[in-house]
Amino acid sequence: MASSSKLLKLALPFVRTHGFSREALARSVLELPNGEAHSEPLSDTAVSSLFGEGDNARRTLVNAWLAEGVRYMQTAEEMSSPPPQLREVLRIRLQYNEPVLEHLPEAFGLLATPSSGFHVIAPFPALKHAGRIADEACYAIGDQSLHLSWYSKRASIASIYTAAELHQLVSPNTAYTFLDTLLETSQTVSKSLDEVSLFSDYVFKGWKGIIKSSGIQL
Amino acid sequence: MLGRRICHCSITRSFRVHARGLASSAYTDPTRGKDESVTSTPADITPEQRKNLEGALRVDQAGEIAANWIYHGQHFILRRDRKTGLLIQDMWDQEKKHLAVMDKLQLQHAVRPTLLTDVAKVAGFGLGAVTALMSKEAAMACTEAVETVIGEHYEDQLKELDEMDTKHPSIPLLKDVIREFRDDELEHLDIAVENHSQRAPAHALLSAVVGAGCMVAIELCKRV
Repeated sequence: MASSSKLLKLALPFVRTHGFSREALARSVLELPNGEAHSEPLSDTAVSSLFGEGDNARRTLVNAWLAEGVRYMQTAEEMSSPPPQLREVLRIRLQYNEPVLEHLPEAFGLLATPSSGFHVIAPFPALKHAGRIADEACYAIGDQSLHLSWYSKRASIASIYTAAELHQLVSPNTAYTFLDTLLETSQTVSKSLDEVSLFSDYVFKGWKGIIKSSGIQL
Repeated sequence: MLGRRICHCSITRSFRVHARGLASSAYTDPTRGKDESVTSTPADITPEQRKNLEGALRVDQAGEIAANWIYHGQHFILRRDRKTGLLIQDMWDQEKKHLAVMDKLQLQHAVRPTLLTDVAKVAGFGLGAVTALMSKEAAMACTEAVETVIGEHYEDQLKELDEMDTKHPSIPLLKDVIREFRDDELEHLDIAVENHSQRAPAHALLSAVVGAGCMVAIELCKRV
């Protein structure tokens, strides 16, 4: 019997046709190599024992698809010899969404609903999803941010990507233009902040000089 | 106890330094910037080992940030005392180099830095400045306590890294870097003792409080 991780990988192409469903998981065995392939999809009991009961099996499939999306982003690194631009990396991740776009709202809804307890919207999986993409994007572009700027860089990329992905769900054709606009705006904001910080530094140094020249020792 | 070991470590190290240069030079020498050992991270370790490696580097980086700011605080207060000021400046310069190497290790191994970076800076500066305000000896007692905990912490890390089974060249280099930094920290401890750290008022209490604070900080930075 093939391992559950192998079957999960084989189930991913079925997401296009069957969505993030138990059916997609059940059909994974049909894609096994010759000699191992089954003639019939897995039974519901087998799907439960391999991937979890009820919606938990679907959550497993969504998480596997998201993890594959992060690996897919690495193709941007392999394709270009100098590190790729942020724009290219995020575009590649949006491209990965395209074939399953109609199933994504349901998938994100599933992740946002806790598997047990009260039916409240949990923001943590959405933040984790955006955070993983931002982290991979930073790695791909060779980002050198340190200390707290490590977090601010990822937070800004995660926000840009999330906005672009939400836009893609509503209007797939304009998603890439929207992404470009967001990246340009963030660059302008970042440049302005740098200028403000430089100006504050000059003002601070100026005051320090005035105080020193008045005879007060610092 | 650790103070006794320093002399031995320093001697061993001076021979090693002359024999093949400092391990950290792999990160500071631009001609070695493309070596696999300084540009990539091992892929053949277990998720548990990866978690330990990330925790270790996160703590080390935070520790070097705090150490930098402790010396900054001490220097800010004692800079007009020529002898002590120069002594602190020398140790501070070494910590600056340690931090530069730790920053490179963070990027190389794709490690999330601690969220407590700014807390470490403020707490480090405060600790350094307050003990320096108490007296020169109290500042040296603070250095002694901090470097004792850091020296022991690096020693524990070396044991953990010894258990890591990987063929990747970055791990033996990391062990050499940690060994070098441990020796530097123990030299600082030696300097603090030579400069009368043990004459500080309530030396035992001060050492216990600072040491306990460092251990809490290490555990916090591993997780947050």
